[in-house]
Amino acid sequence: MILLSPAIWIGRLIVTSIQNIGEIVMILLYTIRTLPHAFKHSGLIVRQMIEIGVSSIPLLFVTSIFTGMVATVQAEFQFRDLVADKFVGTAACKMVLLELGPLLTALVLAGRVGSALAAEIGSMREKEELDAYTVLGLDHYRYLAMPRLVAFATMIPCLTVISNALALIGGWIVCVLALNITTYTYYTGMQYLFNTMDLFTGVIKSFVFGTGIFVLGYYHGMNAGSGAKGVGIASMNVVVASCLMILVADFVLDALMFY
Amino acid sequence: MPNVKIDPNDVMIQLRGLKKSFGRQDVLLDVNLDIRRGETMVVIGQSGGGKSVILKHMIGLLQPDGGEVKVDGVTISTPKFFDTHTIRRKMGMLFQMGALFDSMTTGENIAFALREHHPELSEKEIQDAVTEKLEMINLKPEFRTKMPSELSGGMRKRVALARAIALKPEILLYDEPTTGLDPITSDVINDLILDMQKKLGVTSVVVTHDMVSAFKVADRIAMLYKGRIIEVGTVDEIKNTANPFVHQFITGQRKINVEDNNQ
Repeated sequence: MILLSPAIWIGRLIVTSIQNIGEIVMILLYTIRTLPHAFKHSGLIVRQMIEIGVSSIPLLFVTSIFTGMVATVQAEFQFRDLVADKFVGTAACKMVLLELGPLLTALVLAGRVGSALAAEIGSMREKEELDAYTVLGLDHYRYLAMPRLVAFATMIPCLTVISNALALIGGWIVCVLALNITTYTYYTGMQYLFNTMDLFTGVIKSFVFGTGIFVLGYYHGMNAGSGAKGVGIASMNVVVASCLMILVADFVLDALMFY
Repeated sequence: MPNVKIDPNDVMIQLRGLKKSFGRQDVLLDVNLDIRRGETMVVIGQSGGGKSVILKHMIGLLQPDGGEVKVDGVTISTPKFFDTHTIRRKMGMLFQMGALFDSMTTGENIAFALREHHPELSEKEIQDAVTEKLEMINLKPEFRTKMPSELSGGMRKRVALARAIALKPEILLYDEPTTGLDPITSDVINDLILDMQKKLGVTSVVVTHDMVSAFKVADRIAMLYKGRIIEVGTVDEIKNTANPFVHQFITGQRKINVEDNNQ
């Protein structure tokens, strides 16, 4: 029996994982099924967009500016005496558009809005509000999940574009004020090797990250344990799961788009 | 006690051999119960004994592990597709904590299902319906603008009741309607349960362990004990029961006093 226990444990883990993935996929499919009602509930969508998008801008402003600054300082330090100054702008632009912008935006938002989503849905489930929708003959995926999916999938790419711009401005500020690189050199460097697809690549990634954060947040909320502790654990789990999802998805998407 | 004519052969909700487990915990072992059209059936039993689980099976929020649930002749306890929409439109439920939508005002809570299910209604008709429901639960129309967080526990339950009756259900399910309320507010809720039966002629199922409430609103009482219905009877029959477990519960004794019961 003792020898069997690891096998039983592994077996259970596999079954539970398949079950969880199945549930996550079903949540996404149920929500997508309600998308034709999006126009009817545009008010709910706008409210979520403001909550997820507009309210996140101050946090994103600080993180993006400083990320851009740090990336540029590092690029200049690593390339010093090796390449011309203009390549600092090139490196900053490539780093920000392809990786730093989408990745950091998604990670920051997973912490801010992903955990809030899990807590909100968990608390609604605890107070039987989700059951109340069902009892009234209404589909909670239509009124709760769909507006959030649309808001996550559209606002996170929008925020990524804003974050990209802010990070590049951060890089420019540090170049002019501290690194003795002129605006013209930085700007020319940014244009050099710039490809419009770089921007779209980041946007596509952030669309996938946004959808992923939504579905993980909703799933963990629906499966939250009871009480404040249960909701707290669900919030923590969604941040951990979202961070892992973002990093793995980033690698997979890079592999698909660049190779 | 309510004074509504009830046909003993006209069964609205029928439970047969209902079984339900959560993990390794067997909650319902073999529940058999008939609820007649127009009556108020009160299900009593210990906390955590599975009373709310029975209620959730009646409205299809839970599927049983075994047995059958029939509502108005339609079997709803089947994994096959059935018309949940039609069945649920016949039913309203008052949740233990009210389960009001926190982001909506009182009026929006009551109007929500009405607006979604009856898009043909004008805004004035919806607002009139909200006022009518608020009056039915003895709340002034001004309450429509209050947020759920501004309401007391009793008021939340009354608004939740108004929301439950908004779609004019034939069956009303009450999950612990007086739990957490003071005796006077509890009596207000009891009167509303009686009112609903008189005014709307609904079939009601009330789950409670509040015996004052149970004796006041019930046409019949069913006692759930260790996953089974061990006794069903009118208020007088339950008060004079020979069953020691039922006697223990309704008198609130910690231990069973068999001698007391035999006297």
